[in-house]
Amino acid sequence: MRRILSLCCCAGALTIAVSAQAPQNPSLAGVELSAPIPDTNPFSSDADIQAGEALFQTHCSYCHGSFGEGGRGADLTSGIYRRGGRDPELYASIRNGIPGSEMAPVRVTDDEVWKMVAFVKRLGSQGLLEKAPGDSEAGRLVYQKRGCATCHSIGREGGSLGPDLTDIGRRRGLKFLTESLVTPESDIPIRYRGLQVVLKSGQTVTGIRLNRDDLSIQLRDTRDNLRSFLMDNVREVRYDKPSLMPSYSAMDRKDLDDVVAYLNSLKGEQ
Amino acid sequence: MISKRAGAWAVAAILVTTVSWTLSGQSGPVTSERLLRADQEPGNWLMYSGAYNGWRFSRLNQITSQNVKNLRVKWLFQGRHLEKFETTPLVVDGIMYLTRPENAIYALDAVTGRQLWMYEHRNPERTFNCCGRVNRGLAILGTTLFMNTLDMHVIAVDAKSGREIWKTKMFDHTAAGGYAAPGAPLVVKDKLIVGMAGGERGVSGFLDAYDPKTGQRLWRFNTIPQPGEPNFGTWAGDSWKTGGASTWNTGSYDPDTNTLFWGTSNPWPDYYDDMRAGDNLYSASVLALDPDTGALKWYYQFTPHDVHDWDATQNPVLVDTEYLGQTRKVLAWPNRNGFFYLIDRTNGKFLSAKAFVKQTWNDGFDYENNGRPIVRPGTEPTPEGNDTVWPGIDGGSNWMAHSYSPLTRLLYVFAREERRVYTKNEVRHPTTEPGGPPNPMQAFNRGRGPRFAPEESWGKAIAIDPPTGNIKWEHRVVSPPWGGLMSTAGNVVFGGTLEGVIFALDATTGERLWTFASNGAVYGSAISYLADGKQFVSIPAGDILVTFGLD
Repeated sequence: MRRILSLCCCAGALTIAVSAQAPQNPSLAGVELSAPIPDTNPFSSDADIQAGEALFQTHCSYCHGSFGEGGRGADLTSGIYRRGGRDPELYASIRNGIPGSEMAPVRVTDDEVWKMVAFVKRLGSQGLLEKAPGDSEAGRLVYQKRGCATCHSIGREGGSLGPDLTDIGRRRGLKFLTESLVTPESDIPIRYRGLQVVLKSGQTVTGIRLNRDDLSIQLRDTRDNLRSFLMDNVREVRYDKPSLMPSYSAMDRKDLDDVVAYLNSLKGEQ
Repeated sequence: MISKRAGAWAVAAILVTTVSWTLSGQSGPVTSERLLRADQEPGNWLMYSGAYNGWRFSRLNQITSQNVKNLRVKWLFQGRHLEKFETTPLVVDGIMYLTRPENAIYALDAVTGRQLWMYEHRNPERTFNCCGRVNRGLAILGTTLFMNTLDMHVIAVDAKSGREIWKTKMFDHTAAGGYAAPGAPLVVKDKLIVGMAGGERGVSGFLDAYDPKTGQRLWRFNTIPQPGEPNFGTWAGDSWKTGGASTWNTGSYDPDTNTLFWGTSNPWPDYYDDMRAGDNLYSASVLALDPDTGALKWYYQFTPHDVHDWDATQNPVLVDTEYLGQTRKVLAWPNRNGFFYLIDRTNGKFLSAKAFVKQTWNDGFDYENNGRPIVRPGTEPTPEGNDTVWPGIDGGSNWMAHSYSPLTRLLYVFAREERRVYTKNEVRHPTTEPGGPPNPMQAFNRGRGPRFAPEESWGKAIAIDPPTGNIKWEHRVVSPPWGGLMSTAGNVVFGGTLEGVIFALDATTGERLWTFASNGAVYGSAISYLADGKQFVSIPAGDILVTFGLD
């Protein structure tokens, strides 16, 4: 009995250490770098961005997606970076990896890290480079009239069935915005893809998938209700009508340009 | 009449007596003889795969396909860590020993989950693991536990006290693109066998044996032949110096033939092969070694000149089975390349291979050339990305444990059906050449990531009949899994999904008998043990080790 008690005391005295790790020295193993990290990226020309994309495909796309859309790793198209979006902060994340995550240090040259920084920043700022020809104020009225806010939100206003548009004008270029209105099915983020849950009772519920395992499925239905179904009650889950958004290909050309200009004006808070 | 207080003490005394019995280690030290007969001690879980045969099979039968529906949570171990929890615990006479990321060891009372002691090895801030700062488990000999670390140490810790006995540095973990050792070691007789990782980082692979008493290295087998050794010429130029072929998962041992079986990883660089023409031995192979000397007896290369990252690091499963009218000692091997192989484990002879997942890379096997695969043209990675190849980058199987039941004579595999895009990007040669670029090197090239809808990939627990390779039953799950399977004498197969659904299947029919929604991704494989006379099943999910039992 004494042995047991002494064991318990030992256990109580131990603490469980969760490592909170400080930023690391941006050096490669075996190579000491003495130069401090510059505040601005010395490699940000178009050619550097292009080289950065190739490096990104090699080192990053497995987790962050070929288009930076995320997957195992974070979505890099949002322009929001948890570890900071300043050039030296992005540099440090790539150079050192992120402790406590699966992101390991990327072992390339310093110059190449900078080129990757340039490309990653471009991922989240496509729209900043372009100026839309339409009338954004007129576009705002078309946006209201067409009821876009039923599914999309800007700031705190609007629905959740489609992607948030608060900063879409920073993240996406004009071509992408136009295409999203005319042929919305051409590029649907996976989390906004429509699905149909066909119940054994015969009812069909349409919405976007929130979660799924082998026991149940959760979705946001087209009336913005949160729904959950046990798979025991589901006959089939269908994915053959992936876009919940109607095409606006028949929209007047001026209205279309104006809406695109309005969307392009949405830069979010910087 | 006794007082309430005295009564409580009496109850406590009875409980303590019981627990004291549980923890007393009635069988003494875990000798190498006990390890040889590990399957005769179903109450304990003495090594990574349960026994040397790699079966991950429990002879316990209190929990059966009839009563498994009554299984309930008995206790949880809270890992309190963000990393994937991939450990396989050991259980010795009522005490569970497990690793928690990154390199901590816990001793727990196996009945209650209460902690007895904890040991932690602190890694440097930068380690060079490919896929998370993880650890997969321990080995034990006598009263000493052994763990490898991410910074390439092997550590011996006293199982009673948690005190460190010795610590040996295997290799400079910062060399080349970086070395790490996340796997569970294996004790064979008087040697501790330890593998290493780094196939994505341009390392040069090896397998080591250490003296369990002192930590002295006894032999090292280089998985890439060195100048003057047989098969040296299977790498173009200097590519052999950085060819990967690591040994990051745990092997198996056949005492009858005194042979250690260990699988090797992909060659480096994974998808860019311009500088490494040749078969690239011994990457993507199984090695049959003499555990006493580290000498190579034979090898079989599943994927010569691999360009798809199809490591052969699965746990080897040793089965004696009827094949073409003869009893053969085989390795039953569901490889990452999507084929289930039978290899004669006495001599390395290829017997058969049959796909267990969708595959599009192979047009057959050359029986005149010991089963060399006939590779379909147009299946190599391309600069634009090749999306026509199945299985995907993570393979039809990967490192997750398979399980073989001698009762059903079926091999249970948690397989992955998956699409990926294979992209070939130029990778610079690391700087082992004079005049080459300075030390920085591109570490690994995993190809383009997934941009497929979730339903384009899925998982399936399957039961393979080893002699024929036929799939007897299949249980489909939502996502390609990262957890393994364990089968038991109660006719049950246990596993868990990426979404955290822990399940029990009927081992004979595949029918799903029981589930538990842990909602934590399962990255490990279950074990079963006996404590206080009762059967338990433990499996990691999320950062928690969940232990189930009957009432």
